[in-house]
Amino acid sequence: MPEYSYVGKEVPRLDAVEKVTGAALYTADLKFQGLLYARLLKSPYAHAKIVRIDTSKAERLPGVHAVLTGEEIPYRFGIYMSDKYMLAYKKTRYVGEPVVAVAAESEELAEEAAELIEVEYEELPAVFDPREALKEGAPLVHEGLDEYLHAPFIFPKAGTNIANHFKLRKGDVEKGFKEADVIVENEFTQPMVQNVQMEPHVSIGQWHPNGRIDVWTSAQSPFAVRYLLSVGLGVPLHRITVRVPFLGGGFGGKAGLHWEPLVVLLSRKAGGRPVKLLMTREEEFNTAAVRQGMYARIKTGVKRDGRITAEEILYIWDSGAYADYAVNIARAAGYSCTGPYDVPNVKCDSLTVYTNHPYGTAYRGFGHVEFHWATERQMDLVAREIGMDPLEFRLKNAALPGKVTPTGEVLADDCGRVDQCLKAVAEELGWGKPREKRTENGKLQGIGIAALWKAPAMPSYTSSSAIVKLNEDGTVLLSLGLTEMGQGTETAFAQMVAQELKIPLEKVNVVRERNTDTAPYSWQTVASRGTFMDGNAVLRAVDDLKRKIKETASDLLGYPPESIAIADGYAFVAREPDKRVSLAQIATCGVLPDGRGVRGPLLGYGYYTAEGLTFLDPETGQGRPALMWTFGAQGAEVEVDPETGDLRILKVATALDLGKALNPLLVKGQIYGGVVQGLGTTVMEEFIFDEKGRLLNNNLTDYKIFRTQDIPDKFVPILIENPQRNAPYGARGIGEHPTIGIAAAVANAIYDATGVDFFDLPITRERLWKGLKGVKK
Amino acid sequence: MIPKFDYHAPTTIDEAVELLNTLEDARVFAGGTDLFVLMRDRLVRPKNLIDLKQISELQQISFDERNGLRIGAAVTFAEILRSEVVKDRFRVLWDAASVLADPVLRNRATIGGNICNASPAADSAPALLVLDAVVEVAGERPREIPIGEFFTGVKRTALKPGEFVRAVRIPTPPPGSKGRYYKWGRTRGEDLAIVGVAIQVNGEKDVRVALSSVYKTPIRIGAVEKIFKEGGPVEEKIKRAVEAVRSNISPITDVRGSKEYRVHMAGVLTERGLRELLEVK
Repeated sequence: MPEYSYVGKEVPRLDAVEKVTGAALYTADLKFQGLLYARLLKSPYAHAKIVRIDTSKAERLPGVHAVLTGEEIPYRFGIYMSDKYMLAYKKTRYVGEPVVAVAAESEELAEEAAELIEVEYEELPAVFDPREALKEGAPLVHEGLDEYLHAPFIFPKAGTNIANHFKLRKGDVEKGFKEADVIVENEFTQPMVQNVQMEPHVSIGQWHPNGRIDVWTSAQSPFAVRYLLSVGLGVPLHRITVRVPFLGGGFGGKAGLHWEPLVVLLSRKAGGRPVKLLMTREEEFNTAAVRQGMYARIKTGVKRDGRITAEEILYIWDSGAYADYAVNIARAAGYSCTGPYDVPNVKCDSLTVYTNHPYGTAYRGFGHVEFHWATERQMDLVAREIGMDPLEFRLKNAALPGKVTPTGEVLADDCGRVDQCLKAVAEELGWGKPREKRTENGKLQGIGIAALWKAPAMPSYTSSSAIVKLNEDGTVLLSLGLTEMGQGTETAFAQMVAQELKIPLEKVNVVRERNTDTAPYSWQTVASRGTFMDGNAVLRAVDDLKRKIKETASDLLGYPPESIAIADGYAFVAREPDKRVSLAQIATCGVLPDGRGVRGPLLGYGYYTAEGLTFLDPETGQGRPALMWTFGAQGAEVEVDPETGDLRILKVATALDLGKALNPLLVKGQIYGGVVQGLGTTVMEEFIFDEKGRLLNNNLTDYKIFRTQDIPDKFVPILIENPQRNAPYGARGIGEHPTIGIAAAVANAIYDATGVDFFDLPITRERLWKGLKGVKK
Repeated sequence: MIPKFDYHAPTTIDEAVELLNTLEDARVFAGGTDLFVLMRDRLVRPKNLIDLKQISELQQISFDERNGLRIGAAVTFAEILRSEVVKDRFRVLWDAASVLADPVLRNRATIGGNICNASPAADSAPALLVLDAVVEVAGERPREIPIGEFFTGVKRTALKPGEFVRAVRIPTPPPGSKGRYYKWGRTRGEDLAIVGVAIQVNGEKDVRVALSSVYKTPIRIGAVEKIFKEGGPVEEKIKRAVEAVRSNISPITDVRGSKEYRVHMAGVLTERGLRELLEVK
């Protein structure tokens, strides 16, 4: 009998052929009878009162079916903080915010109509620096903050620009600093950046005259879209259907809700015709969501022997005009604030602050890429201060099993091992071995390391489910609520189903489209939670199906269900394998020798709900936020040309304790992609604004992302497998992690090469050159 | 979206000249890689567009020793890169073509378009400057413009209304001459030049340097040529040439780079290039 061993094997992704041949259809490809196209008129001001809008000329243009202003749709939307209007209401809060939306028979017409709209603005004082926004008397971005609905674990401060203030208090920092021999304090910053998915945001909405709503959208989380639409529009869930076709990348930027309500509302005004909104690349930068900027200040107390005694941490997040996601990012960064270290006394304040910048959202890493830039630079700076090797310093303070996290969680014995990740990366870099730092042609070489950790950032009570259906020929359909945006989870789950049912992988099909009417529920496809949570749900669904198969087989074979095994397309008596029925025979019902049917169509259902998580104490942040921690370490070897500031990345090593690699090929793919994305924000990506808050580089000419020539000479993925008992095959999530440690690892390597420290990202060629100027060659 | 326009595709130079001189608010284009971006951003909205790609003469590259190289205005940079004669005899231009935009755009972007767009960052321009190219102009009165007089300001050329570029002609450099184009961007991947340096060396006494992205137009630095015509140790000349480049340019500071960095890098690329071509360690 074949082995059907798929888990842990390098199976190519199931959707590869459809994608590379162009057969895969994305939301932008969809066309419908009577489809209208939406375009937006956007605010030229960062902060301005809307005095008057004249849409009459646009409305008279033949072929225009709906012109919508903020006054007509004063609804607020959001997942953690309902602070976002679809169209600027009463005032605009950032340059690029949609003010009027038009739906017409062609994009050209819609654009022409948008140009005919006149808007009179009265400019208001704006605020761009979140530290300025915290000051008394700063312009308020949201005057009505106290009226906004928000999740119970979010703490906005009415009358200020603070959308969330997360507090963490562990131990006694004053005492900890007294015990310290040395105190080191530094500041770090990161600018706003953008997810830059290949596929821009695109949604099609139809509000039928009978009150039903259909949505097709480039969303990571169809159930979240449906729920948030329902809450925001006051329409019950059974009247809303959300479908997600192929997705061209998400990276967090398509989590929660985006422009779905706008197309639905345009459709309502256009008499129920479907309306499509496809963002341009410029709108992706100016109008759609971005990753918030960050300012960090870290004060670390340390003993001469290398033990950290206390840390006081301030994270300030520039969430821009709306803070729906940024509020939870402040929380996630706050409860993980120290990085993967055992720090006995911690005080952390993590603040989400409104400004008149574009609005922040989730971005692969969810705050962790940003704050690890600060904490992992700080680890090197502190180690240097006490004359200790940065690797040894990290190992000495590592958050190992049995240690206590900032929120008071005692790490379990199967939580994963950051020390093993650090050592593996160090070995790959030749850590501690003598190296020539200067090349023959005057370039400077160095190595740097960073540790990392992240748990899924989500409410304490999220759930996932899965359905496995047996077909009449013994093949199997797997239905998921989780979406596939490139991460490869569908393939990994199909491997699991085939292995558990002992059938060939080719006999498993994953239902392509996500349709909220028919798919099983999953909270969101975010937070590196899919493999763990939806994976557990899939295993339980398979167990449920197997139980039902055994029941039917038991009826037919006359043996108890416990004695029956399943393999190779048959259910059989384990001890007498020739007593068997094929899965095909029993898929719809069993048939007794006399022709009577028994049981019925076989379908397995399974769910998984996050276990043991709690709200965190509002004053101390103590509690249990983490379903699992995935630990890792990253190392970089770089070469700097001191004359030009050119940085060549010779090698990036990434070690992740992922418990079990369900599909090492896909894991490596995640690591390559994550490293490249993380490097982009390390050396080139940033939003550059003028003094009026206008984005100066809203295109891929001047917002640089990595191209082939920029990538490291060598990638070294290291998969460490300390399984977690409650995870599917022991596997933890790793989707975000390869992006997290890379910035600090590179900057630490640059210091090793050149003796110059960087505190602000990105480290562009010009900034590297400027930093090195005056340094002796 | 690109605003509406009427499209014309003449097949002869004469037809194109007539269309350009009779149609209201008309512009010619070849690859369109610059023009359509401007139209998409609504910075220009011509009523009529005249596509020069159907004129077969404009698609030709020809070469003979006596008359040199002639490249039709609508020849793409991908075609220039495929030309053995350009690679062997006009290496500085081949270099420029190889780093201009990216492979996809090079399939579309043309040499005529690159010089007519007249961006200070035009990669082909410094190469044409050091090669003493001549621009053949079509119009009611055909004429020729030396490349050194072609660029008159940021995005401005010596072309008059009703004229367009027909071809670029380049005299054959003397045997044994060498040229390279050194481009510096913000990243290792494809980027616009924040500095580009073209160097053509026709023996040790005839050394020409021209730059992109450091002045209101692409600029050839005459002072460098004087330095190399005079006597003296080559090491000294290189040092003086670098100084001459740095003092004859006036780049701007913008989102792509500061004036200070551009001036610095202009010197670095000039020095590195001269050392390579003059074979001075």
